[in-house]
Amino acid sequence: MFNAKAKAEILKDLIDVTSPLVNEVKFNVSEKGINLRAVDPAHVAMVDLTIEKDAFDEFKADEMELGVDMDKFAGIMRLASSGDSISLTYDDKANRLVIQIGNLVRKMALIDTAGMPDPKMPTLELPGKVVVKASELIQGVRASEAISDHLAISMNKDNFELFAEGDTDTVNLSLSKDMLEGLTSNGDCKSLFSIDYLSNMIKPVKSSEPLTIHLGNDNPTRVEFAIANKKGHVTYLLAPRIESE
Amino acid sequence: MPQNAVFKNITTTNSSPSTSLCALCRGTKLLCGKSRCPVLVRYHSQNKLKPFLAAKMVHGASPPSVFVGRVGYPKVSIGPLVPPRMGNTSLYDAPEQWLDRSLDEIVDFRSSLIRGKHTVNVYDVEKSDKTIEFTRELGLSENCVFTEALFNKRPTGRLRFYDDIQPHGPSAPLKKMNITNPKYNQRIEKAYYDTDLKSAEAVFSLYKNNIEISKIQKAFSVGAFGIGKYRRFVPTRWSITAVDSQIGKQLMDYTKQLPWINTFRVYYHNQYDNRWIILMMPSEFQYELIEAWYPNTTWNQYGNTISMYNSYEFNEGRTTYADIGGCYYAGRLAVNETLQKDKRQAATVILREAHPGYIMPIGVWNVRESVRRTLKQPYQNFDTLQQSLVYIGQKLDIPMKRWIQNSALLKHRMFQTRLDDFTG
Repeated sequence: MFNAKAKAEILKDLIDVTSPLVNEVKFNVSEKGINLRAVDPAHVAMVDLTIEKDAFDEFKADEMELGVDMDKFAGIMRLASSGDSISLTYDDKANRLVIQIGNLVRKMALIDTAGMPDPKMPTLELPGKVVVKASELIQGVRASEAISDHLAISMNKDNFELFAEGDTDTVNLSLSKDMLEGLTSNGDCKSLFSIDYLSNMIKPVKSSEPLTIHLGNDNPTRVEFAIANKKGHVTYLLAPRIESE
Repeated sequence: MPQNAVFKNITTTNSSPSTSLCALCRGTKLLCGKSRCPVLVRYHSQNKLKPFLAAKMVHGASPPSVFVGRVGYPKVSIGPLVPPRMGNTSLYDAPEQWLDRSLDEIVDFRSSLIRGKHTVNVYDVEKSDKTIEFTRELGLSENCVFTEALFNKRPTGRLRFYDDIQPHGPSAPLKKMNITNPKYNQRIEKAYYDTDLKSAEAVFSLYKNNIEISKIQKAFSVGAFGIGKYRRFVPTRWSITAVDSQIGKQLMDYTKQLPWINTFRVYYHNQYDNRWIILMMPSEFQYELIEAWYPNTTWNQYGNTISMYNSYEFNEGRTTYADIGGCYYAGRLAVNETLQKDKRQAATVILREAHPGYIMPIGVWNVRESVRRTLKQPYQNFDTLQQSLVYIGQKLDIPMKRWIQNSALLKHRMFQTRLDDFTG
């Protein structure tokens, strides 16, 4: 059994985080809320997303899996305007998700979850941790996008830095400890990342929200932020690029 | 002209347009750097046609072939392409069979195709108008069709070259045309009469039934496919890419579900002084086309350095039109054909090195057919990307480092780690 009601924004958050990475997702539904974990086809990024039951206006569910075609779901959610209350019900006879937007009832066939993987979250020792306002990072990534396809994120015990270099131009964003909401780092950390992935990752983040970045040396980064009015949580893992020359 | 002025001109060849050199060279010295003189190639084929351009009419066996212009869209010029020749001319419009011909031969028979122009609105596919009807019938036919075209004035214009469509000869506004004995291709005819069949489905099912791409594209351009009310004329150049892209897309959806190849494969083939390398890497499906144009080749006439362009897509596909244009989609179609035959998927990079012997643009078909042919060659197997790149380095003149810098897929493969690398 699955029966939930939520504001359109909550579901749109979920789509924005997930759909740039994967087309088909397995929602793990339980009485606590919804969780999903997905890896992109190139195995470069992983997203783990949880939306607590409290984020919904109504939520009743048994433990179950729903296989969702994200493109289709996103298309349906485009019918809703912000503020609309959306109701989701699982129809177990037809294996469909019944989505109600206002007076509109849309029944969406679900995908068989049998073949869908359960990706494992790698355990990583990442010595650096910084809490930064999302708007700063968004600005830095946007500026870098114009000149390169990758950028370097680095930190030491007093400073957090983002650096990108093109053929002729450079971008540098440097934030000292007092400009950040938090910084802990044992020594220097530096890793390179693909800007394509980073910009997809930060797209759904609200610019006023804080973002937590865990960093190592040539190691994946773990980025965490809240969604769904702080009643949801996203952990995003991104594998690094290695130095080209 | 004083003699030192002549020398001065010669020493500045690199920065000045090559046309100014033609007067100095007159086809003898090949100052433009090409291996043959394009002016003479054109001239010779024009000369053969001259006697036929005196009259305001032409009659002959159309291969069959039609042309839909794009200038002025949605008011465009449609009409037949007719050579002043009888007999079997089917080769003239069958790019699938052209690779074994020299550039001169292709230019030769293409330039004899005289184009009749009749201005219509693209939505008027069903209008009762003889020229529209006959043009459509040519588009649907599979035999050479005897065609008579009466013009308002004498056909003029040089041989026309385009980046993506096959060249054709002089043109003139049509006064009247007539055709005898068109024989429709049965499967195309069936799709034409089915006004509930979406054009994407029609195109793909014809392709699956082994109808040549050039035939599908021809019928597509005369508005023969699709749901009745959406039918329209499609400019020839758009129709070529529409068909390539649509078939490629549908093949690709299936390719992406197949198992990966196990080793790195490298194919090599040289066609019209274009060196083609196709590298397949064991990975989920990705695709990239990189073109390198030497100075004095078709699309790098005036530069003095090699210019390189690429377009690519990762596994999720692309939503915007490729910068490279129609070639990208033609290559993607050919790559997917081979992967599907092998029942495998792979990340594929096509490296095209266009050397100065490639003197004129001949159309997108060249990419489609050259890639097809390259993929028919025996391939070299390698265990690592490094080994493959060493081999490719022996086949191409441009250093591998420069190819890698210009390649999104190679950079991704070499410099982007995967999460699996860290799970230990």
